[in-house]
Amino acid sequence: MTGRRRVVVTGSGVVSPLGDTPAALHRALAAGTSGRKPIELFATAGIGCHEAGEVRPFDPQSYVGDRNLRPLDRTSRLLVVAAQLALADSGWGGREARAGAGPQAAPAARPAVPATPAAPATLAVPAVPANPAVPAVPAATATLAASATPAVPAASAVPAADIGLVLGTTFCSVRTIAEFDRRGLRLGPTHASPLDFANSVINAAAGQAAIWHGLRGVNSTLAAGEASGLQAIAQAVELVRTGRADAVLAGGAEELCFESFFGYHRAGRLCGSRRPDGAAAAGPNAGAVGRAGVGSGGGAALAALAAIDERPVPFDARRNGFSLAEGAALLMLEEAAAAAARGAAVRAEVLGWGAAFAAAGGEAALAGALARAVELALADAATAPREIGCLSASASGSLEVDRAEALGVAAALGERAAALPVTAIKAMLGEGLGVSGAWQAVDLIETIRDGELPGIAGLERLAPGLPLGGASVATRRLAPAERRRALITAVGADGHCAAMVLGAPPEAP
Amino acid sequence: MNGARRIAVTGLGAVTPLGSGREEVWANLLGGRLGFAPVESFDTKAFSVHLGAEVRGFSPAPYVRRLDPRWLGRASQLAIAAARQALADAGIGELGGGNELEPELAGVAMGTTSGEPLEVERFDDRYLAGELDAVGDEFMTLYPCHMIAVHVARELGFAGVNTMIPTACAAGNYALAHAVDVLRAGRAELMLAGGADAFSRITYTGFARLGAIAPERCQPFDRHRKGMIPGEGAAVLVLEPLDAARRRGARIYAEVAGYGLSCDAHHMTAAHPEGEGAVRAMARALADAAVEPHEVSYISAHGTGTPTNDRLEAIAVERVFGAGTRVPISSVKSMLGHTMGAASAIEAAVCALAVATDQIPPTMGLEEPEGDLDYVPNAARRHRVEVAMNNAYAFGGNNASTIFRKCEA
Repeated sequence: MTGRRRVVVTGSGVVSPLGDTPAALHRALAAGTSGRKPIELFATAGIGCHEAGEVRPFDPQSYVGDRNLRPLDRTSRLLVVAAQLALADSGWGGREARAGAGPQAAPAARPAVPATPAAPATLAVPAVPANPAVPAVPAATATLAASATPAVPAASAVPAADIGLVLGTTFCSVRTIAEFDRRGLRLGPTHASPLDFANSVINAAAGQAAIWHGLRGVNSTLAAGEASGLQAIAQAVELVRTGRADAVLAGGAEELCFESFFGYHRAGRLCGSRRPDGAAAAGPNAGAVGRAGVGSGGGAALAALAAIDERPVPFDARRNGFSLAEGAALLMLEEAAAAAARGAAVRAEVLGWGAAFAAAGGEAALAGALARAVELALADAATAPREIGCLSASASGSLEVDRAEALGVAAALGERAAALPVTAIKAMLGEGLGVSGAWQAVDLIETIRDGELPGIAGLERLAPGLPLGGASVATRRLAPAERRRALITAVGADGHCAAMVLGAPPEAP
Repeated sequence: MNGARRIAVTGLGAVTPLGSGREEVWANLLGGRLGFAPVESFDTKAFSVHLGAEVRGFSPAPYVRRLDPRWLGRASQLAIAAARQALADAGIGELGGGNELEPELAGVAMGTTSGEPLEVERFDDRYLAGELDAVGDEFMTLYPCHMIAVHVARELGFAGVNTMIPTACAAGNYALAHAVDVLRAGRAELMLAGGADAFSRITYTGFARLGAIAPERCQPFDRHRKGMIPGEGAAVLVLEPLDAARRRGARIYAEVAGYGLSCDAHHMTAAHPEGEGAVRAMARALADAAVEPHEVSYISAHGTGTPTNDRLEAIAVERVFGAGTRVPISSVKSMLGHTMGAASAIEAAVCALAVATDQIPPTMGLEEPEGDLDYVPNAARRHRVEVAMNNAYAFGGNNASTIFRKCEA
């Protein structure tokens, strides 16, 4: 595709149960650390599942300062923080800096990873001071992604305020919606909260983040199940390629709340929802098959397996569901020449993407759709299967989806699939729904940087017939050739499939 | 966009408070009929307003053939109906069966405000009644908003790109814009693009709390307008590359010439006081379509009937088209109410029909216009429509304008 505008990643911001910088998240994943913890956001008594990937502690003001956070619900707060971190990491600085002296030059390279353990999540980047002439961040935080690089006016084709935002999410906040409704039911409609109503729309978080950070470019929200985050990044890539934008934040956000947690539990989808005898722990209608989708059957298969408690183990023969998680992640995507013009560091290049849908139910249809998505991504990236060095898979421990994903990847990559190094970071992070694909992208860029591909925690016995021999419990160091082009796949239980090829920046090994 | 694929609208489907199907809806809009009645979906006695624009007497049976309608939310049912109508209108039968179009090259992009709000309402009813044990897998099977696009695609066997765009009251236009991008990039050869929403007590409660619901009449652009009237519905447009549509001899309503998106980044529920974001969306759409403002022959307004929206929209239109512009601008929300995520999809279909038939639907209820724009008051008009612009604005400051152009045979 000669002449096409190239899209590069100039930074990222992440909020997760395992850290609030790409480097910290990556270290935790490579160490096989689990983000699961007892849920404190809501009572789990009587539910039967008690753990999830909660972001805790989460103190938004430690990132964004003491501006009034009251109008923002949890999803919006997670996103506003991720956007703050992504803008800083990519050298765009704070809102005032962008409105004033123009974009800052990004640090030439990501600051060295400190040897000490990751800082606690609450000690992250403070608010950027109002005066753009003052160096943005105190020296004490220089090891964090938002470095102490002084403001350097740089030529850029992008009016800073025209930065766009494309957000992937499944619910935005089903908690805000439900609480708004219940308050109206309990107290009468005149007691329902107008503030909550403003946040009840599914594009609320993207709108709030735009207001908070002054992002006046294209602003969109996209829902495609567990593929939302990756499809949002793909849509942003198209906006840049077609010249509609030069700089777009893209990724996902999802909160942990009672409504979705309970809902997935009753649907038998969580790793603690189904008893080893194959019966759903939930009500009689839970886990029913017969819908047009992939369905949530599999009781018979499960019956033959040993219980593995409440752990999600992607690709494992003993997997029995996913673990829910929350967070936000955004990549800063920029047109390559514009990024170069402002002196931005390039972390990776988005070489291509593909998306497809499984219109029929069942494993074969889902595998076929993912195979098409991967083939489209490879073609878009002008990349051959043998050039793919590693894979960040979507697998979550889902009984129905993981094997379909593996079969789809294998169908698209052919013999390259058998020995391909594979990670499935949901083993550690859990299923973040709308944010998952963005987490995968953030972490895979770290893998491209340092060559460490996280292992799949808990993986002991690959599911029978699963064709990804390179899926392993052990974190591995990739050869230089395996870090040049990396594949991400995102698969939704309702049929959405997306794939993306990331390339190392030109100057990387 | 120089060199970009040109995109044609070849099929229209709509299920609305003013009837079902292109012909019935269009006739009712040109006839200035009103789709308002006291709300039947839920009891409004605790509210000070009672009017709604509900779709009455809808049965999914003629449309939902592959899936089981008992396992579809109402918005999905409405969307499937509109999609089936649109495909039939385009003369496209079942994919695969002798049809040369491959399912893998057929995608779906749908917009919505609330997804399937009735499902979360059912959950809340059980929650408050202490009956959460009654919740089964239907909550997560039916509720997530992406299920609307999923259900349309499953029902029709569309295996290409599948995207839900929940950008609230501008979502139909966003879905249309996304579909245009997918087609222009050659990632599909056929796209269904539209929007759907179900009448919801959550939506009604919220707009009532904002004081935005009109008690008796919806009068966009009138000095005495008192608000919008919430509604429901679905609309779907069939989009395909213009050259392919011509090759198969399809009826072409209009070309989607371009779109523009922007964000106010100003306030969640109030538009920018100078219509700044709306101006940029219109300007970007005009640039994308390579159309000059004076070439636009009709504007389908967002025109909700709330005091603020209509005033700011008029300001924005004058900033783009010049003070004293005579371009006709009308709001079909004066008849259909505000069908939320379906609204700008229905209005996109209106634009395509205005371009195809050289008729402009009226703004009803207009007695004392505010300002000097030509609001096509109270009666449809015959008028040569070369280019139509569709405006849509949403909570979150999401603005979207799309442009439709007449296609010479």
